[in-house]
Amino acid sequence: MPLRPARRGRVGVIGAPVAKTAVVAAAVTPGRSPVARTAVVAAAVTPGRRRRI
Amino acid sequence: MSADTHETRDLDQLGPVDYLVVEFPSGASSFTGEMVEELLALVDSGTIRVIDVLILTKDAAGAVEAAELSDVAALGPLQAIETQLAELLAEDDVAHLAAAMEPGSSAGVLIWENLWAAPFASAARRSGGQLIANGRIPIQAIIASIQADDPAGS
Repeated sequence: MPLRPARRGRVGVIGAPVAKTAVVAAAVTPGRSPVARTAVVAAAVTPGRRRRI
Repeated sequence: MSADTHETRDLDQLGPVDYLVVEFPSGASSFTGEMVEELLALVDSGTIRVIDVLILTKDAAGAVEAAELSDVAALGPLQAIETQLAELLAEDDVAHLAAAMEPGSSAGVLIWENLWAAPFASAARRSGGQLIANGRIPIQAIIASIQADDPAGS
């Protein structure tokens, strides 16, 4: 199905080829369960947590 | 919010515009209407405004075909969104967006304005602020950070 004529000959807004974003599941390596990792991430973004610098 | 309202909005009041490409590997898609419901909920609540939608398919040889939302046979509730689209994406955007797709997959491309962020962004500009950086923190980076802090995972 062709694109609408209004899309042809215009300057694009994306600019450059888009790289594939890593899938979240790929970051979950064997070892600890995904559920445990979810809890860890949740804890990291919990209000009141302070950074250690 | 009506189309007229959007057209008369000052450019300074425009919220940040984002895009995403959601890929559906061959044979893995399972459309139940749930995505449409959630998208419409975001629109109806005034959280976002959908600016453009395209449906891309990439065949096994890597050839890409793009379809308009209006090409979908039974739009259903998406009809309300389709009439408001602005056709922001140009032809060469299709090739750029499809670069991330696997051969044999299909994908939905969504461009939207973050209406929720517009008042804050506008206030920042009126206060003399200039946006010098923004971005998204991947969950993977958060996991890596936490693990670096606590390798034992306690």
